[in-house]
Amino acid sequence: MKRKININRPEISTDEITKQKDFDNVLKHHTGATKPFFKKPIFLSSVLVTVAAIVTTVVLLTKSPSNNHPPELAEVQQPSIINEQSSIINHPCINPPLKEINIPFTSFKVTAEKGGTLDFKTGSKLIIPKNAFADAQGKPLTGEIELRYREFHDAADFFVSGIPMTYDSAGNKYQFESAGMMEMQGYKDGEKVTIAKGKSIAIEMASPQKGTEYNLYKLDTAHNNWSCLGKDKVTKEQKQNGSGVAGFGNEQPLVTTEQRQELQKIETKKEVVVKEKETRIAALPKPAPEPRKPVLAKNDKRTFDIAVEDKEFPELDIYKGVLFEIGQENKDFNPAYYDITWDDASLKDGPKKGINYALTLKKGLKTYGFIVYPVFEGKDYESAQKTYQDKFSKYTATLDKRKADEKRIEEEYQARIIAFNKQQEDLMQEWKKQQAERFKQMEVQDKVSRLFSIASFGIYNSDCPKSYPQGVLCTATLIDKKNVPLDCYNIYLVDKARTALFTYYKNPVEKFTFNPKSTNMLWTVVNGELYWLKPEEFKDIKENGKVMNLVLDKVEEKFTTVEDLKAFFHF
Amino acid sequence: MAENKKYHLSEKGIAYEQERIEAAKKNPALFSELYDKYFEPVFRYMFQRLDDKEQAFDSTQQVFLIAMNNLPKYENRGLPFSSWLFRIAKNELSELFKKEKAKRTVNIDSVKIYDIIEEIQETKIDKYHDKIVSIIGEELNEDDLQLIEMRFFENRSFREMADILDITENNAKVKTYRVLDKLRQVIKPI
Repeated sequence: MKRKININRPEISTDEITKQKDFDNVLKHHTGATKPFFKKPIFLSSVLVTVAAIVTTVVLLTKSPSNNHPPELAEVQQPSIINEQSSIINHPCINPPLKEINIPFTSFKVTAEKGGTLDFKTGSKLIIPKNAFADAQGKPLTGEIELRYREFHDAADFFVSGIPMTYDSAGNKYQFESAGMMEMQGYKDGEKVTIAKGKSIAIEMASPQKGTEYNLYKLDTAHNNWSCLGKDKVTKEQKQNGSGVAGFGNEQPLVTTEQRQELQKIETKKEVVVKEKETRIAALPKPAPEPRKPVLAKNDKRTFDIAVEDKEFPELDIYKGVLFEIGQENKDFNPAYYDITWDDASLKDGPKKGINYALTLKKGLKTYGFIVYPVFEGKDYESAQKTYQDKFSKYTATLDKRKADEKRIEEEYQARIIAFNKQQEDLMQEWKKQQAERFKQMEVQDKVSRLFSIASFGIYNSDCPKSYPQGVLCTATLIDKKNVPLDCYNIYLVDKARTALFTYYKNPVEKFTFNPKSTNMLWTVVNGELYWLKPEEFKDIKENGKVMNLVLDKVEEKFTTVEDLKAFFHF
Repeated sequence: MAENKKYHLSEKGIAYEQERIEAAKKNPALFSELYDKYFEPVFRYMFQRLDDKEQAFDSTQQVFLIAMNNLPKYENRGLPFSSWLFRIAKNELSELFKKEKAKRTVNIDSVKIYDIIEEIQETKIDKYHDKIVSIIGEELNEDDLQLIEMRFFENRSFREMADILDITENNAKVKTYRVLDKLRQVIKPI
């Protein structure tokens, strides 16, 4: 859409704006509600009164006489599980998507005139005062009352219950993030009862959420919206068996598999750095062998003059006029050998490499071996001294440089290893911190209860209205494996990090958003069949301005309980 | 860039507002205090996006009427009351544009364009002025335009923008810088 652009439009003064204020006019048109007449409380109240009157008349006319006899009084009894749906479930406001499963009620029996405290399996408590119940006409009831109670704590619970988790505030749609939801209904002899006027049932609902940002809402099934009742109270000192609260206390190992892999990645980097260091050191220029200091031939000793292969003994190659003197260790050497003209003479490295040599002399079939030392005489000695000085200083310079280079490489290596170690240490610290935080939260969570009281039966939710998750935004068409668009209306986004069920209302889903850092799933039901988009497939959803086709898998498993469904979706 | 500091109410300020709201829920006439306080900001928000002054005044009245009618549903989420009013104003404007009862208008102060240019770290500012005006007027989508308008033409803090747009403060920041990046990319070839 092309817009109109005004550049530097004159500003309007505060005075001019003030003059335009007309609160009386707003007040005059104020209606108290923007709903059409048929949705206004007065209309609904009259309808409800009429319906109540009709129901009451029918009940009075059809009630069997036996119903007038109260049954034997009973104390509070152990609860039993019944898999009956809420009496208001047939109302369009609540629409369980799967016909086979729902959150079951737990049935409690309480003696009306005695009241009592009921313990629910999650750790919640229901505190019933004496004489808390009345019949539809407001007449106090005595005797055994059946209370049916159930709770909802995660997206799977919200989903199967079909209870709407959206909230309309002045035309702004919000999604509820719940700290716990419960439903309670009362019956006597199979007929619904009410909470007596002036009485209320106190609920201490176990909750994993300790925040105080939650409000208490009651589901207004007539208006298909939630009514805000104010704030609930949070207590963190409530003693309870934490392990009894389903799904609230899963301790995690200090290092998870993913974290271990992360550490291993750094370990691999360290190994690479070690190899890199070795390669760099190996590549440094190697100094020539350390030159041997020339030794002056002793006057009292004679020497051998042997032609030496240059390449074979590089340490001797630098000198001229090398002679070989027989070492003291040759006890069997006969000075007469000096006078023999030998057929062959050869040298090898001696026991002290570079210092002495093994001389082999051959004459005819006889072979003699001696240890000899290189020596110099006269001018050759002086020349060798000079050569040595020169070569030795070059050798030490090269050696010093190499040592310096090695030191530098070693220091760089150590710095990198220290950095990697620190990285690992930091990760460990961070994980420990996170774990400590989790433990701390779990400790608190185990003790958190949300306290409120109810003056009528129904569905209550400790909730905080939130927006859809932020992150990736796209338009998505949900299709099946045959590329056929799914004929679905309610599409549920499950973000496992949040206790919410984000609902979209048509396919294609415009402005479909999700947090890519969370574990997400999409659920929808077509003709009673559940379809889902797996968490790993969210990775391929990109924000590119195009319509994404999302292929949902049909869930073939047949669930008979909510626990089956939760196990399938890894709740 | 100078931000509008008025938005950042102290906890005490929010609590006082909440008290007035609760009082107005019981007695709508007491809503006048909130009306007086927020009439001008809401009007300026409307007029920034509209061409016609009279229409902006009428629509502002309508915003307050919707707010009053829905006041019983209002709940304190720890935010200034104004963020709720601005959201209603935003919805009201969307309706006007959708039903073509008003033309989407962008009111630009030239000086603010230089702020944008400075933000995208370009130096030859005169060269880019007209191009940016044209991109803002014709090419940016509505969501991106809202961000630029709020940040640069109305000097709103990221926190206030986040509250009005119902996103996180960080998200408001990231999205705004993405728009600035887009602007930078578009003017690069000049």
